[in-house]
Amino acid sequence: MSGRTIKLVALSVMVAGTLLAENRKEYRFNVGPKASVSVNNPYGSISVRPSSGNTVVVNALLHSDKVEVDNTQTANRVYIQSHLLPGADANSGQVDYEVLVPTDASITLHSSTGQLYAEKLHGDVTMEGTASPVNARDLSNAHVHVKTLNGAVTLRNVQDGHVEVDSLSGEVTLNGVNGPLVQVVSTSGNIVYIGDFGSSGEYRLTSHSGDIEATIPETTSADVSARSVRGEVHDDIPLQPKTHTSFVIQQGRAFAGTMGRAAVSSTVVLRTFSGKIHLKKRADK
Amino acid sequence: MTCVELQQSLAEIENGSTAEQQAHLRTCSSCSALVEELALIIAAAPALLEAEEPSPRVWNSIEIQLRQEGLIRPQRANQPSALSLAASASRSRWGWARLMVPAAALMILIGIYVNQRFRTPQQLVKGQPLAITSEANIAGLNDDELLQEISNQSPALRAQYADSLRRVNDYIADAKRIVDADPYDEEARRSLMEAYQQKSMLFELAMDRSLP
Repeated sequence: MSGRTIKLVALSVMVAGTLLAENRKEYRFNVGPKASVSVNNPYGSISVRPSSGNTVVVNALLHSDKVEVDNTQTANRVYIQSHLLPGADANSGQVDYEVLVPTDASITLHSSTGQLYAEKLHGDVTMEGTASPVNARDLSNAHVHVKTLNGAVTLRNVQDGHVEVDSLSGEVTLNGVNGPLVQVVSTSGNIVYIGDFGSSGEYRLTSHSGDIEATIPETTSADVSARSVRGEVHDDIPLQPKTHTSFVIQQGRAFAGTMGRAAVSSTVVLRTFSGKIHLKKRADK
Repeated sequence: MTCVELQQSLAEIENGSTAEQQAHLRTCSSCSALVEELALIIAAAPALLEAEEPSPRVWNSIEIQLRQEGLIRPQRANQPSALSLAASASRSRWGWARLMVPAAALMILIGIYVNQRFRTPQQLVKGQPLAITSEANIAGLNDDELLQEISNQSPALRAQYADSLRRVNDYIADAKRIVDADPYDEEARRSLMEAYQQKSMLFELAMDRSLP
């Protein structure tokens, strides 16, 4: 037997062993309108997409027999929990979930390390993770709450949202996010906003040492106030200065003013302690 | 009304709730779930013996302790103290629930409450340092104990949490300095509150379900 053949056989044995260790499970639950679905997964990813009917479908890929999936349904609530068995670690305890839920369902996702993802829903979305990257897109009329330690957060196309993001050090990117309340608080993560600040919402972007960059079209209507205690502020868009502000406008450290039509404007507050703030004009295509 | 405002106003909910609170609860599943859980606790509370309710002496001793630590200051005769309000709250519909909420949230709320409600203009003028819970341990743990817990449960995450604790403590220290420099700066006070909330979140993430 040639050396190459031996290597192929060895590789096949390894692959077969991995496949045997992996275990796919599917769970289905019938739910009513506005169901609540909660998935708690210490290690591994959770992706949530819309289902076609009033059914919750959970596909779980278990990476070893050191982890089980506990599932319960109480009335209109579905709970999924990865149950680590003795000896499980970050690899053997990993479960990756693909979850389909009715579009009006509220979801709560917890993970320590795996990516959290949700799309095309209009129920409330709560996502919490330690190092988990968080991605959500195409959400509407939803309360979106995100908490992470250092995972990056990306929200794209969230319409009429009530959005609250808390991140200690992960970068937060909001692209096309608007609604009555959009609030980001970070200790050291950068915050990037790309959009038009809606028409009448409150937008508060705060980071202690991270930079804040907002890229908006020149047609935006907003009352903007920006302040960096030790960093710099830059403003590419002409504002009508305010005569009264709650703080002293120190050149290069703060600005406040109105752009566009004041009557339909949103309130935008950008705050950082030692980071930079940059209000940028979106380049027209 | 935001979720934070709703949770801070829970103590004020009596038999019903305000229209503002109800409107928020109708649209926010996480807050409505919280209120449901509180309602369950309250429903179970009558089963507890009345004798188990803390006596006024308990509230008094906590108040004395907080004064000694500089976290609250003596009040005028016609001005309720934080603890007497807390004691009266314990007799309200949400009283038992308030006793059951996590200690972390309690410490944060005490800090916010003392700062925002119980500092008189005279105190501000005198330029006394703000009395806040910067040295208070959240959830009965200090930073070292939290890191020790994380080391025990999930050693791989210890470095991340240590780094995050350092950053958030810097945040609190900087925010506190700004408030001390200008106690009338509402934005600075809000920033300090947010810094504490970040630390609260850190402890919550460490001890909550996301930690394996």
